[in-house]
Amino acid sequence: MARRQIEEINAGSMADIAFLLLIFFLVTTTMEVDAGISRDLPYKRDLPPDYVPPEIHNRDILVIMANSRDELLVEDKPMLLENLEAKVKAFYMDNSSGFDVNPEMPLWDVVTGQICQQKIQEFTTAIELEKDVKVKGYLKDDLDKWEKRKATFETIGAYKEISGAAVIQLKNQSNTSYGLYIDIQNILKKVVNDLRDEKCRELGWGEYRDLDVKEDTDKINVLKVLVPERIIEAKIEI
Amino acid sequence: MGRFNKNKKKNVPAVNTAALPDIIFMLLFFFMVATTMKEVDMKVDVKKHGASEAVAIEDKDHVDFVYVGYPLDAAEGTEPRIQLDDQLALDYTQVAPWKQTKLREGLAIYELVTSLKVHEDVGMRIVSNIKEQLRSIDAVKINYSAEKR
Repeated sequence: MARRQIEEINAGSMADIAFLLLIFFLVTTTMEVDAGISRDLPYKRDLPPDYVPPEIHNRDILVIMANSRDELLVEDKPMLLENLEAKVKAFYMDNSSGFDVNPEMPLWDVVTGQICQQKIQEFTTAIELEKDVKVKGYLKDDLDKWEKRKATFETIGAYKEISGAAVIQLKNQSNTSYGLYIDIQNILKKVVNDLRDEKCRELGWGEYRDLDVKEDTDKINVLKVLVPERIIEAKIEI
Repeated sequence: MGRFNKNKKKNVPAVNTAALPDIIFMLLFFFMVATTMKEVDMKVDVKKHGASEAVAIEDKDHVDFVYVGYPLDAAEGTEPRIQLDDQLALDYTQVAPWKQTKLREGLAIYELVTSLKVHEDVGMRIVSNIKEQLRSIDAVKINYSAEKR
């Protein structure tokens, strides 16, 4: 039987179709990549009326204030933005040896398995005894922190950690520009990332920024315990 | 014998366009891969600030955007305004109700990220008000949008 020649499909309009699609994508998409600095706001807590806030030592808190003219005041002293990074680093690391080297910066505590076990025990019984659902939730958060410390201890053994009360406070004014705020947040993030990176290398895990969020969760959690990021923001007053 | 006769007139052969679709498709795929969908039509001007530690947002499905900037439409005045989806908000108190309409199946509100895209010259008062709104409904995950430098 004679083979019939199959006629070639006319592909002339294929280009037109492709053009149409191309133009559609050109119009509806952007090249811009969304990037940013992630933060978790503190949960709103209804504290019982008889709540007594824990005593805060001056050394445990680093106050960074930015005024309406975009000037910085760190620990009540004027400071240039480019010097802030060194100051924040000092806040974290000055007493990292465990000795009281700089009396203006927070102390470091030693965390052992025994302490973790004891604290977890304390909080578990406290949760069982507590009746108020909200307070129970807060206690669970505290328990969670100690569970993470325990996990860290189990991974790397007894370790030193910056005082649990150490915190960085940001204060702004109404007209402080968002740009300056981003600069400050960026510096805080950079210091923490750098310190975590240092620890990460010490532990032989490579670079911190290369860790995979999904696969290396345990490692990231350990580093988060070792170099915590505690920022509180004051209400804007003027 | 006419079959083998050559035409006396020499025609210029048509340009072969068979590869044209391939080229266009290549361009198309490039744009499909390299770009992302626009979320909204911008009603405010947002000039993003640069930050070296900015990290690209991974799963955009869990992110809602709040834009704060100077209105592009002169009739809206010159004060910074908040844009939610395609509309300008009247004031910051609309942020919490808006965020609550954005709940997704199977995800708690504290798992959803809110990305703040704010013009770098806008004052912190408005940003602080928005954050307080989000906090009041436990939408605590925030992303301060910044240009990666």
